[in-house]
Amino acid sequence: MANNTKKSKWNIHNRGEILWGWIFVLPTMIGLIILNIIPIFQTIYQSFFKTGAFGRGNIFIGLDNYQKMFGQSEIWQSLLNTIVYAIIEVPLSIFIALVLAVLLNRKMKGRGVYRTIYFMPMVAAPAAVAMVWRWLYNSDFGLINQIVQRFHGTPISYISNPNTAIFWVAVVGIWSVIGYNMVLFISGLQEIPGDYYEAAAIDGASPVRQFFNITIPLISPTMFFVTVTRVIGAMQVFDVIYMMIDKSNAALPKTQSLVFLFYKYAFQQNNRGYGAAIIVLLLAIIMIITAIQNCAQKKWVTYN
Amino acid sequence: MKKINKVLAFLLATVMVMSFAACGGKGNDNSNDDGSKKSGSKKSDTITVAIWDTNQEAGIKEILADFTADTGIKTKIQVTPWDQYWTMLEAGATGGSLPDVFWMHANEISKYADSGMLLNLGDQIDADGLDLTKFPADLVTLYQNADGAQVAIPKDIDTIALWYNKTLFDEAGVSYPDETWTWDTFRDAAKKLTKDDGSVYGTVFNPKDAQQTFYNTIYDFGGYVLNEDRTTSGWDDPKTMDAMEYVAGIIEDGSMPPYTTISETDQSALFTSGKVAMLPQGSWMVTAMLDNEYTAENCDIAVMPNLNGTNISIYNGLGWAAAAESANAEDAAKVCTYLGTETAQKKQADLGVTMSAYENTSEGFINKDTSKNLQAYIDMQKDVVIYPHSKDTNVWYEMSIEKLVVAWQDPAKMPDACDAIAAQMNEDLAAE
Repeated sequence: MANNTKKSKWNIHNRGEILWGWIFVLPTMIGLIILNIIPIFQTIYQSFFKTGAFGRGNIFIGLDNYQKMFGQSEIWQSLLNTIVYAIIEVPLSIFIALVLAVLLNRKMKGRGVYRTIYFMPMVAAPAAVAMVWRWLYNSDFGLINQIVQRFHGTPISYISNPNTAIFWVAVVGIWSVIGYNMVLFISGLQEIPGDYYEAAAIDGASPVRQFFNITIPLISPTMFFVTVTRVIGAMQVFDVIYMMIDKSNAALPKTQSLVFLFYKYAFQQNNRGYGAAIIVLLLAIIMIITAIQNCAQKKWVTYN
Repeated sequence: MKKINKVLAFLLATVMVMSFAACGGKGNDNSNDDGSKKSGSKKSDTITVAIWDTNQEAGIKEILADFTADTGIKTKIQVTPWDQYWTMLEAGATGGSLPDVFWMHANEISKYADSGMLLNLGDQIDADGLDLTKFPADLVTLYQNADGAQVAIPKDIDTIALWYNKTLFDEAGVSYPDETWTWDTFRDAAKKLTKDDGSVYGTVFNPKDAQQTFYNTIYDFGGYVLNEDRTTSGWDDPKTMDAMEYVAGIIEDGSMPPYTTISETDQSALFTSGKVAMLPQGSWMVTAMLDNEYTAENCDIAVMPNLNGTNISIYNGLGWAAAAESANAEDAAKVCTYLGTETAQKKQADLGVTMSAYENTSEGFINKDTSKNLQAYIDMQKDVVIYPHSKDTNVWYEMSIEKLVVAWQDPAKMPDACDAIAAQMNEDLAAE
């Protein structure tokens, strides 16, 4: 008997907790469902249609959009551009951010100021950032080339040379994101108990050795999180390219990303169905990459 | 992981707050329209008028004040910048909450007209006795739907004229352009104005800006971009190709900046910084050019060059349209037709808002700045061809830019580019 009453009490308590749990996650869930999950399915659905204006008069065309897409070299080129961008942006932004995080995690003068400075690009509107960089990069009037010429260097065409433009665009991407990555790394670093380092120091481990044997393994969960989110972010790159590479720029075919093409077809040419197909392709690619990363994490991520 | 969760929670919270803020913003917008969510579906005594150009707001407000004095119908202007204007309009059309009266553009008209979004203004035109023959015929037909019903009233007209830098002309000892200039004179002058050290170039045409530059050349040469039925491309027409070969010639002369510069820097920025001596500019650029201190001091305007006396300007014009589902449809139609009357059109030009579409009402536009030869824009109205457009203009237009970029970098490839554009464009037109 006594056991029973205890159990039902526990149930009432438990039920209350479950209810409150739901109430707390509800706003997020509603937001996610309305703003993300439903649109995902709508987009997939739409990719099988030749869409009419204002969502009216859609004609079902089965896999035609996909057939057209896989036959277009433009799509494959821009997929390649997107991957190149990600390969440049993600590792460099993580490496630089990690170095900065380690440096700015020490006790030093003006630490807050430095952290703020590095985080600043994250606060600025991406379109504004891209506009400023576009002028910095300008081969005739840009500040960078003015400085290069001052030192008798040859001016470089940063964003109009098809072979190198994607790299210079990625530099802006890196610059914009290191602050954000850095803050995540700093929070990861602060999780690491100081005694580990003390113990290591007593055992005679050098700071470099400490970094590789204590810091890296213990910060690996943060690194995993940053890598996954950054890869997704980099695969979805759009604003920097859209703002910096003009329609008549010769480098456009070698810099336009998948999202750029999605925008071009869905919004500039009003072909929502085809745009949807492009974005479904991107979704599939991102899902595969993320799944691979999830499997690979067992090899290198150490959880305490 | 705990810290990461905190960061995540913080981020989510930020997103939530921001989305609430966005919702709040929308709520406020709606409350302006008498608190109704669909401004179009609820009768109100104020007509909302949506436009995208702040430069024109004051003038149009004044004209609408006359309208209110005449009819007692109140109006309210809503300015949305061009980039967001079409998103706003599209959302409005999809959700059934279009503004009562709004601007229409050649690129978008068929989409709205064919979906039945626009009010048929025929009855109001008859009631007011508005004579549509006073407007350029192509502009009138542009704003008709497939059944021939008038769904927008022509608002204005824009033409192209040649801006030139007097200081650079004086330095090079070249006489200023005038109506005697042929395209050959233009090419020679561009060559003479170009400095060897690359500090000044004769002119610049950007492949993405056909309307202000090479479309005019094409029609002067007797070529065309799109046939009258809008079914076949004129890009492989021999005369069109002659015109484009001529443009390729200017590039080969070295009279245009290197392509790197063209693709990185806006052409009007090149002109207003004195790097380029001549630039064809549309009349919609006048305000911006006059506002620039350098151009105001050093530059003037002339008519475009001609070929054997043929001097055609590509023109385009906006239209005043009303929402078919507007609850104030009758009043909205009255606003549109009023803005098309001779009085309103004349006032629009006199106030320096734009040149007007109504016959012989634009003279006042030259008073905007008497120190500049704005008359050139009026003179260019004599022989005009409407901006080539079809149902899905953007599809083939953007394709043509991609192909021309290649030819601009290597002018020898111009004929190939023209052929390639024609082939693809015919395919796109067939698919419309």
